[in-house]
Amino acid sequence: MSDHLTLNEDERDCLQELMNISYGSATAAIAEIIDKFATLSIPNIKTATLDEFKVYLQEKLDHGKSHYVTNQLINGTISGETMFVIDNKSTVNLGSEFDLEEDELVEDELKDVVLEISNIITSTTLSKFSELIDASITFSPPSIKILHSIEEFHEHYANEYSHIIIISTDIKFEDQHINGELLILSKDESILYMKNALNRLLEEF
Amino acid sequence: MINNEILFDTIDNGIVILDENLNIIAWNYWLEVRTSVNEKNIINKNICKEFSYINEKKLKRKIKAVLVTKSPAYYNVDPHQYFIQIPTNSIVEKIFKYMQQDVTIVPYDLEKKQVCLYIYDKTSLCKTNFKLEKLNEQLIDLSNKDPMTQAYNRRYFGEVSKKMLSLSIRNKQSLSLVILDIDKFKDINDTYGHSIGDDVIIMLSNTLEQSIRQSDISARFGGEEFVILFNDSDKDDTYKLADEIRQKIENLTVISQNENIQFTVSIGVAQFDEERDKKGIEETIKRADEALYYAKEHGRNQVAKSE
Repeated sequence: MSDHLTLNEDERDCLQELMNISYGSATAAIAEIIDKFATLSIPNIKTATLDEFKVYLQEKLDHGKSHYVTNQLINGTISGETMFVIDNKSTVNLGSEFDLEEDELVEDELKDVVLEISNIITSTTLSKFSELIDASITFSPPSIKILHSIEEFHEHYANEYSHIIIISTDIKFEDQHINGELLILSKDESILYMKNALNRLLEEF
Repeated sequence: MINNEILFDTIDNGIVILDENLNIIAWNYWLEVRTSVNEKNIINKNICKEFSYINEKKLKRKIKAVLVTKSPAYYNVDPHQYFIQIPTNSIVEKIFKYMQQDVTIVPYDLEKKQVCLYIYDKTSLCKTNFKLEKLNEQLIDLSNKDPMTQAYNRRYFGEVSKKMLSLSIRNKQSLSLVILDIDKFKDINDTYGHSIGDDVIIMLSNTLEQSIRQSDISARFGGEEFVILFNDSDKDDTYKLADEIRQKIENLTVISQNENIQFTVSIGVAQFDEERDKKGIEETIKRADEALYYAKEHGRNQVAKSE
């Protein structure tokens, strides 16, 4: 991997701190919207090549369980996409957190709940993050798939994602065991922008 | 100076402005034309009362999300299909009763707690996707099924049996299979012709399909030979099931030119054994095949078990 696109330890720490602050606004938003308290774990930050990312995703999805996977594009100074991955059991638990009745715990309603939670987390986290590093971003509508194995993930991996920063976090609700992971993938030019912004912040403080 | 009124009434998508209590503040010309509801008749009315099929709890939650996050929320065409029921006009391609819609909800006036809904027509994209899905299903059927009997083919059986095997090993359950072959099938073909021979095979295939549980799988292995994999079933239970199938087949009748044709099958049964079948299900099939050979050698129309 090219050195100029990898993060050094200071940059990684700084990014982790900024993401932590950003996730704070996501948990506050969830509490206000559905009146439930969620926690987001301290983000785990990895840099990966496209091949390493494929292996990462394979390990995540290939356990014989079905997963709901959303994708949402981010456009602007920081461009890339987010993915939210949640297993079937956690999705049903999430449905209960969204006050779905027993007869509403069906695939279409569950898809909507997953789309909503991933959209809330993505938009609040990244809006806050872009504010902190002085970037402007917009979001495209999210889409959703139910995958039973990695073979069903027929994505055409794009070349502009040759270097990927994977920022992953687990979301947990206090009453229910819900494990969902948010992955934020950013393109090469965004990594450069982020690195410059992180270094400016590091010099300031 | 931009005239927003012109944009509002000429844009090719629906625009509704709502307050947090779901009252309609604005309703554009695109919606007036498609719903036959004029703006002046709907202003200040609650959208969920006017369109009772809209889920109020969900809409309120999405509006709250927009007002809290100051970011868009969405109604995706998958899974919602539509937000406002607008009948589709197509006569030749009426796949969907209502226009398929994506909806984006954005903040309009945060102080007054108002949001704007943009409704996009996605019907033609959904039609294309629908057709592609149908074609894909047909392709999958073509590659997995035998065209004459619609039974699964040997290739598909190979794929599924591997998955069923690993599942049964993980769950510590028994897995058994039977190989089944029509007795003296050549005589049927020679006496009544190949078309009747095909009818016999189709009837046999349908009978097998009706005789198994959803968790089992039957497949045409080739010619007049079929295989059935029984999930969570040991050799003795499978033997009983196989004998019931044999008796059912013995009582079937294919009618040809006022002649009633009856036929019988011989069946070999084997249970997967981790010790003996180290190379996988192929070895179990081989043992069931040997049992079938034994049944044929010992008078036909009978079931034999592999030891």
